[in-house]
Amino acid sequence: MSTIPVLVILLFLAMLLVGGLQGLKAFLSLAINFALIFLTVVLIGLDFPILGVTLLNAVIILAVTIYLGDDDPLTTETAFYGSVIVMVLVVLLIIPTEHWAMVQGFGNENTEDLEGLSLLVGIKFLDVSIATTILSSLGAIAEAAIAISAGLGEILAQNPQISANRLFADGLTVGKQIIGTTFNTLFFGFFGGFLGLFIWFERLNYTWEEFINNKIFVSELLMILISFIGVILTIPVTTWVMRLKVRRRQAGS
Amino acid sequence: MRKIEPKYQVSWLVILAVLLVGGLLCWGVQHDAFLYKTPVGRVTKVTNRKRFSQVDNFHNHDFTQKQTLQVQILNGQYKGKSVQVQNTFSASQAMDLSYRKKQQLFLHIQRKAGHQLQVTITDLKRDTVIVSLSFLAIVLLLMTMKFSGFMALMSVLLNGVLFFLAIKLDVQSQGADVLAIFATLAFVFAGMTLFLVLGKTRQMIVTFGATIIGTLGSVVVTLLVLKFTHEQGLHFETMAYVTQNPQPVFLAETILGSLGAVMDESTDIISSLFALHEERPQMSRYQLFLSGREIGKSIMGPLINVLFLIFMADTFAMMVLYLRNGNSWGYAFTMNMSLGMVQSLVSGIGIVLAIPAASLFASSLLKRGDHA
Repeated sequence: MSTIPVLVILLFLAMLLVGGLQGLKAFLSLAINFALIFLTVVLIGLDFPILGVTLLNAVIILAVTIYLGDDDPLTTETAFYGSVIVMVLVVLLIIPTEHWAMVQGFGNENTEDLEGLSLLVGIKFLDVSIATTILSSLGAIAEAAIAISAGLGEILAQNPQISANRLFADGLTVGKQIIGTTFNTLFFGFFGGFLGLFIWFERLNYTWEEFINNKIFVSELLMILISFIGVILTIPVTTWVMRLKVRRRQAGS
Repeated sequence: MRKIEPKYQVSWLVILAVLLVGGLLCWGVQHDAFLYKTPVGRVTKVTNRKRFSQVDNFHNHDFTQKQTLQVQILNGQYKGKSVQVQNTFSASQAMDLSYRKKQQLFLHIQRKAGHQLQVTITDLKRDTVIVSLSFLAIVLLLMTMKFSGFMALMSVLLNGVLFFLAIKLDVQSQGADVLAIFATLAFVFAGMTLFLVLGKTRQMIVTFGATIIGTLGSVVVTLLVLKFTHEQGLHFETMAYVTQNPQPVFLAETILGSLGAVMDESTDIISSLFALHEERPQMSRYQLFLSGREIGKSIMGPLINVLFLIFMADTFAMMVLYLRNGNSWGYAFTMNMSLGMVQSLVSGIGIVLAIPAASLFASSLLKRGDHA
């Protein structure tokens, strides 16, 4: 048997064993997200408008991750709206940044991998790099949104008459705890990806000038920074959505 | 915690100061050419020539276009000189770039016979983007988290320095002990990060233990699976930027990549269990274990998705190129996405394993502490 199916089965069993039904749903969300990612890249390859396809699939990925990640309707709905708003904000940051940095496509370090491939493929690689950056930030945004709205949901359950302003302050407190650990997830996640590249830089004696202006390094670092800014923005935005919902509910009753 | 003043006050003075510092910083980096040894030039005029449409073997339509750039040199012995540079770019801009006015470029200058200078472009200067976005991220971090934000920043910087040292060590040893070096580094990373976040407490020791068990467990599982499946369907030779034996580098990348997520989860579970124990000290060991599992269950899905999306999105450019070069979906996946997929699966296994480990460690320690 080949390696990937064995690992898939092992992960599935582990998730089922530890998480039960919730584990099953989490595994399902991974599978659907994989299909969506693959679909996105295939559609881009088939000349569909890159940003349109990416944004559409990005919203579906957020929905899948959030609705299969938690059961409580208030939590999931708040997290979903919050994360979609954050995604829009992040996209507004990504588009000018990528135009400015011009880190699309491939660097000189990729030359060997590109041997025998035609580069004149009629796809705007700048848009591909925007798509990459958007998609890589979604997971972190969804995770933060769920964590904050779940935390706030807990506070609301204990104290349903809590004032809207008080709730906002609590959201920021909950958020503080989340940022610290998410920071680690993101940085180490990317550190892992950096390893091969850094060994390359060191082996070939790159100077610091080449290093901080290098296309691939800059593109990876931009991805970290943007995901991270997305996570920070998620805190006030999700709390704000929760406050709106609570206000409406309190006004309605 | 609850007593913290809820008002989120940021005075205008602070905002003004931040904007001023940020503006100065960007301006400074834009005028830092004198720090560079490589010649830097600014584009003052762009003249685009005619487009030539191109069709490759796979019927992809593209074009190439030449542009003549007037570039003013900003540093070195030719400072102040204005030179003409030719550049060719395509519609896709996969390896080439279409330059615009006011951009700064790195140049390669050669003196030809007579006083003619032959100038070619080597790359775009990108330090301003990096500095301004880093500044934005750091300001947001410090504004939302104040002191703990500062500690988080310190831990990342320290980890970065250690990472560099480890890479130097690896290159010096010719990549012979890459796995040993980076596995040790993972221990140190975890220990230091948790120490900076939690201090030298029992909670930190338990979290450290759970993180190590989760990560170690996933590595052992991976090694076993790789052995028993004979790495069928994997192509380590397709790894990007590889200068030494790829398989250990891949494992080291996976360990580092999943470490943060495993730490994230263990921290969440264990700090919740410590808080729970404080609130309801009569809970039994088994009950604590079950609540730990309950908390872990709801975090694991989103957390695995975080890493999965990071690992997968990274392969996009190459995937698109493969697909446009007439390769089948399956082949494009195998050559580009399969290693990222393995990395996500292994990290996922680590994240799941950390749940029982964290719950078990925390519940046993809390209960033993009680009886002692």
